[in-house]
Amino acid sequence: MGLENPFLPYLATIKSTVELTPDVKLLRVELEDAAIRGSFDYKPGQFAFLSAFGEGEAPFGIVSLPRHQDDLEFAVRQIGTVTRALHELEPGDTLGVRGPFGNYFPLEDYAGKNMVIIGGGIGMAPLRPVINKILEQRDNYGNLLVINGARTPQDLVFRPEFQTWMEAPRTQLELTVDRGDEHWGGRVALVPDVLRELAPSPDNAIAIICGPPIMIHFTLAVLKGLGFKDDQIVTTLEAKMKCGLGKCARCNVGDKYVCQDGPVFTLEQISQFLEQP
Amino acid sequence: MNLLASKDNLIRWLDLLLHEHVVIAPVRVQGLTLFQPISKAEEVDLDFDNTTLPPKGWFLPPTETLFSVQRNDGQTKLVPAMVERDALIFGVRPCDARGIALMDKPLLQEPSDALYRERHARTVLVGLSCRQARPECFCTSMGSAPNDASYVDILLTEIEVGYIVQVTSKKGKMLLPESFTEYEGVLPTPPEPRAVPIKDVMPAMKGLFDDTYWERLADRCLHCSICAYVCPTCYCFDVRDYSDRGNIERVRSWESCQSSGFTRIAGGYNPRATKGSRLKQRFYHKLLYFPEQFQDIACVGCGRCIKACPVNIDIREIIDDLQQLEAKSGA
Repeated sequence: MGLENPFLPYLATIKSTVELTPDVKLLRVELEDAAIRGSFDYKPGQFAFLSAFGEGEAPFGIVSLPRHQDDLEFAVRQIGTVTRALHELEPGDTLGVRGPFGNYFPLEDYAGKNMVIIGGGIGMAPLRPVINKILEQRDNYGNLLVINGARTPQDLVFRPEFQTWMEAPRTQLELTVDRGDEHWGGRVALVPDVLRELAPSPDNAIAIICGPPIMIHFTLAVLKGLGFKDDQIVTTLEAKMKCGLGKCARCNVGDKYVCQDGPVFTLEQISQFLEQP
Repeated sequence: MNLLASKDNLIRWLDLLLHEHVVIAPVRVQGLTLFQPISKAEEVDLDFDNTTLPPKGWFLPPTETLFSVQRNDGQTKLVPAMVERDALIFGVRPCDARGIALMDKPLLQEPSDALYRERHARTVLVGLSCRQARPECFCTSMGSAPNDASYVDILLTEIEVGYIVQVTSKKGKMLLPESFTEYEGVLPTPPEPRAVPIKDVMPAMKGLFDDTYWERLADRCLHCSICAYVCPTCYCFDVRDYSDRGNIERVRSWESCQSSGFTRIAGGYNPRATKGSRLKQRFYHKLLYFPEQFQDIACVGCGRCIKACPVNIDIREIIDDLQQLEAKSGA
């Protein structure tokens, strides 16, 4: 008899891949076991480990919305050995999926609120299901402001969806890049500066932010300057994780484990024991 | 009722146990005392103050396979690792037995760690009281004692005529031979290890996260991680894939928060980039985060880290410093 071993992933198959940017691929993944596929429920903000067998396992936010399709979607940026192996997978190839893990954005609690969503680079990945969930239930929320920054126009991850986002009612999408190119007519500015200029009101608002640590650091300062309180600022933390079970202690921050207690935290919950970048 | 085993009877009992168990006991190896599987009772060396390493590796091995990946005709199959042996660990010091009880808290918490849980369920602990304290011992300040029988199945205490045998569990009771006689005498007075007052350390630490103390302390740290290696309560681990000529295994191994790769994510960002932030994590996890989560300090006072540290970083001094620092800043 086998132990039920929490390190054992579900087997899954690559259904399709889409190149989102020069270094980000969208992987559409189908769990092999139909029963597991049917019961695999998750919420925006949760993540799963993907295994490229022989190279290892790494955590990724699930960027699809549940029940829209059986396939799970992951936006994977090629940045290390596991992600390189995941990028090499082709439709029909086998990989492992372990999850879902972690908490989620408590979107029900944000009903009626104005939403400010700020994402930098691949930090947009966990925010995509949040935006799509809000748009799906548009009447439940106030104004939606999305600020999406990237190094170059080519690095804006969810370009195919921008049109839909822009045309949604009471929704403003602001794009900005560090360096433009010959086709770019938009902003060339850093995310914190764009935020300062747009100056969304903190009244009845929630800010959700995800991106590189240095962007988060300076954006938090601007949010605080605008009057956002620590309990109005929500972030999803990226951390080294190996188990997803609150055991390996790699993602320990204070008395919290990012994999179990997070990855979604209000600034109020974690600011005391976070190292400054 | 306690029992008494003469030294000869103890040896005979050990030989008997060897028929049905893998017996792991302190053995003298090249100047070190290590827990190793034995094949006859004479190999055991009970004349030690404490073993060089705690017995944690028999519960959480330094390296172990979690599952292997089999590929046949394009089909992938995952084969989970199994625990195959019943084990008896002989001669465990009370502090180290408490170390196992502390590791249980994170590792047995649901969803429990299957391999650890299985190995734990199939292991019996026979403890050995300490008749003297080492200079670096401070177990009584950390919730244990030289004669603490709480975390073992059987506790042996050496006296002139043999060993007093205290049985604390059903598992232990089932192992006893008939040759042990009843013992009506008193238990010897345990030694008194040094006291390390710790009452104010948790509240003190809450205010010292950004203190320069940590970088100053870490200046001399070589981040060799020996402190985690010898610690009976350090349980952090790494998980990696190993492949060799088509054989793929997912492997877990010990890892330490003192290594710079511990928190470094793909792409190179490291939230704990400095030695100070990493050394701080060691002591915050042991003295604040773990107690907040599980109500116990993640230290048993065995003193191995103090003895092993090449630059004399001493957890007792740190505990004292933190309380002094906070008292000063509060005054």
